[in-house]
Amino acid sequence: MRFLKGVFIATIAALAAGVVAAHGQGLGSNTQSRPLLKTDAVRYLFPEQVSVPVGKPSQVALHFRIAQGLHINSHTPTDDFLIPTEFSIPEGSGVRLDAATYPAGTVMTLPIDPTTKLSVYTGEFIIQARIVAAAGNHLVQGKLHYQACDQNQCMPPKTITVAIDVIGK
Amino acid sequence: MRSIPVRRNTLVLGATLLILAIFAWAGWANWEYRRQEAERLLAGVGQGELVPAPGGGTPQYVSPLNGKPAPAFELKDLSGNKVTLESYRGKAVLINFWATWCGPCRIETPWIVELRNKYAAQGFEVLGVDTEGDDLQKNDTAGWAKAAAAAGKFVAEEKVPYPVLLDGDSISRDYGGLDDLPTSFFVDRKGVVVAAQVGLTSESDIESKIEKALKQ
Repeated sequence: MRFLKGVFIATIAALAAGVVAAHGQGLGSNTQSRPLLKTDAVRYLFPEQVSVPVGKPSQVALHFRIAQGLHINSHTPTDDFLIPTEFSIPEGSGVRLDAATYPAGTVMTLPIDPTTKLSVYTGEFIIQARIVAAAGNHLVQGKLHYQACDQNQCMPPKTITVAIDVIGK
Repeated sequence: MRSIPVRRNTLVLGATLLILAIFAWAGWANWEYRRQEAERLLAGVGQGELVPAPGGGTPQYVSPLNGKPAPAFELKDLSGNKVTLESYRGKAVLINFWATWCGPCRIETPWIVELRNKYAAQGFEVLGVDTEGDDLQKNDTAGWAKAAAAAGKFVAEEKVPYPVLLDGDSISRDYGGLDDLPTSFFVDRKGVVVAAQVGLTSESDIESKIEKALKQ
């Protein structure tokens, strides 16, 4: 009888341990799938809210971050076939984009083609937007259009929303 | 009185077997759920994975289309003529998705032109599929004209001898979504995908896949 009890308990313990181990392994294999494809090449960081004087051009520094290992063309790429990075504010937002000043691009070459120089942004970059706001609170849905690549491949051009709460006082 | 321990033994044995059966069923159900989930993901998204090459070389793209018939399509070329994949049955075909804004695509195009000219006599052809209009609406006539002009300019500059087809995005879903360019599919004479590649590799890598498509 004791022997059977022992067998019973040992069987349960072994099976439970096996199930836990198998479950853990399954979760682990799920997390390492699809290493290639990237979705958010660029993220808008801040500011989320700004207060500006009504009707007066005001500078706002917009901060962005590019995913590690990727680059996007600067606002002034080295060839006309390359898609420049551009910020815009749709009409009817209560806020007008008077001008945008972009950082100079970093010169970059691809290892496979060292003769071609690219003008790109990597890491974090800042666009200085000069905006003019009407009175009131405006939830602006600005747009950043860019095209990202790594050293071997490119992602299609993309437009992300740059959400800023602009308070015109 | 002697029969009681035997009953207990039977009960313990029965309980053990029952629990074993429950664990076995739970394990099978879990495995089956994961298998179906994986199939659903692959079928729905249709994207492949990069797997390390033996010896640490260029990672190889494993497409869910490998070993399956290449999805049929009909697209217009730069002159407005309709081109179907079906019409190339009997030839090995490289379907090369590209765009003029894609630097790596521009680097590999001269390689592909060279390889096309080298293997054309053996029954090999390339179909360049331009995905220029990724963000264009169907009714954006000016946008499409601009995209076609950009593709045409590049094709003329590179003396591309093979058909270049427009509106590649209309067939991109069938080919796995094409989140990255360049993306190439190597199709054998029977119309089956034998290899695929995402991103820039090397001329020799492309050549080895062309040879594979010609041999099948």
